[in-house]
Amino acid sequence: MTVTPDDLTAAIRRGMTLANPQLSKFDPLPRILAFDDFDRGHCGWSQLVGNYEGSLDTILPGYRELNGPMLSSISHWDGGTHGSIDGTYALKVPTRARRDSQAVAIKRLTFREPGPIRLEFYMTFKPEANELVLSDRDIKSVGFLLDLQTGDQSGNGAERVMPHLRYLNARDGDLLQKWQFKPGSASFSDIGDSSDTVSHFHLGDEGWQDVPGGGQRLCYNEIATKVNWHYIRFDFDLASMTAQRLQCNDRVFDLAGFDSLRMPAMKNLWCMLNVAMFVETATDKRAFLYLDSVCLSGDF
Amino acid sequence: MLRENATLVVARNERWQGSVATEPVECGWASEAIFFIRTLGGDRCADARVQAEISPDGMHWVAAGAEGALPKSKTEVTALRVAHFGNWLRLTAKVPDGLEFLALVTLHLK
Repeated sequence: MTVTPDDLTAAIRRGMTLANPQLSKFDPLPRILAFDDFDRGHCGWSQLVGNYEGSLDTILPGYRELNGPMLSSISHWDGGTHGSIDGTYALKVPTRARRDSQAVAIKRLTFREPGPIRLEFYMTFKPEANELVLSDRDIKSVGFLLDLQTGDQSGNGAERVMPHLRYLNARDGDLLQKWQFKPGSASFSDIGDSSDTVSHFHLGDEGWQDVPGGGQRLCYNEIATKVNWHYIRFDFDLASMTAQRLQCNDRVFDLAGFDSLRMPAMKNLWCMLNVAMFVETATDKRAFLYLDSVCLSGDF
Repeated sequence: MLRENATLVVARNERWQGSVATEPVECGWASEAIFFIRTLGGDRCADARVQAEISPDGMHWVAAGAEGALPKSKTEVTALRVAHFGNWLRLTAKVPDGLEFLALVTLHLK
């Protein structure tokens, strides 16, 4: 048996990953693009602001009240500080206390190699604990998306691609507990008067389709302040702009029918690699999405 | 390690009328905070007050001792310094009846 330098490199990399207490809970591709442990700060996750020109009044309505992320020790009135998976702080994404309010955290990168990437993270979601009831139907959805565009030399293959996935937890008091994706195109609005800026709101409730076999009951626990973390993995190929795999905890879902929002390439987004996480409340109560930690990796 | 430092926009182009409160911010990692309050237009709100509040849980609030006046023009800036605030901060304001304050509020933490 011949052992090549590449074999040795892969074995050493795997051994070092498994021996690293922070990384060994992930299965990253060879190149780690970002590893965000929120005990080190916000790690580049910021508030999503809608496009504007001239006046903030030009921001599309859906973007005007999006809350941004903050560092949280996940502290509660009844049990004190819960803490994150392996430290004190998680990234918290809080909605407002108004039905259908959304909040988004976004990290903005670009890519240098159009190949396979893997997004892995641990997340949990809870409503604000302002009632002494289970409250498991108070969060509508949590989800994530990539906002991608091919490189500027991609010619006729140039496009902007936005894979969206959400866990639709509840609506109108009913538990739904299923994964959904959002295919289709986008309808743009001109922002301002110069023709330089457009915008589209892609986080609305329309257009979502069920992932086949995508029903999944998660560990919510038994009161609003007990928190359990969930592992998520999403594989995407930047060469073919297709989704490869969705995993949540012990379940891997069939993405054969999956598609992304797709639209013509835009003049100023080449090689864009944005990652966003979002949460939506089902009632007039704040919903909180927590992340700790996030690992984005690539195969190059 | 360099000290953590973050700016959060807690009100952006929000039209305040009557008694208002910004969204709660969890910021127990920081030891000092400044709210900067600006207006992007709207009415001139003379004698309108704004103050910082702290909370044990993000749901129940008490004045933190820092208070000031809402800025009366787009060029004015109000700053409220807060320290020893525990884990939660928000800002409250009272806009006089019949007036509207177009708010831009940022919270600077380190």
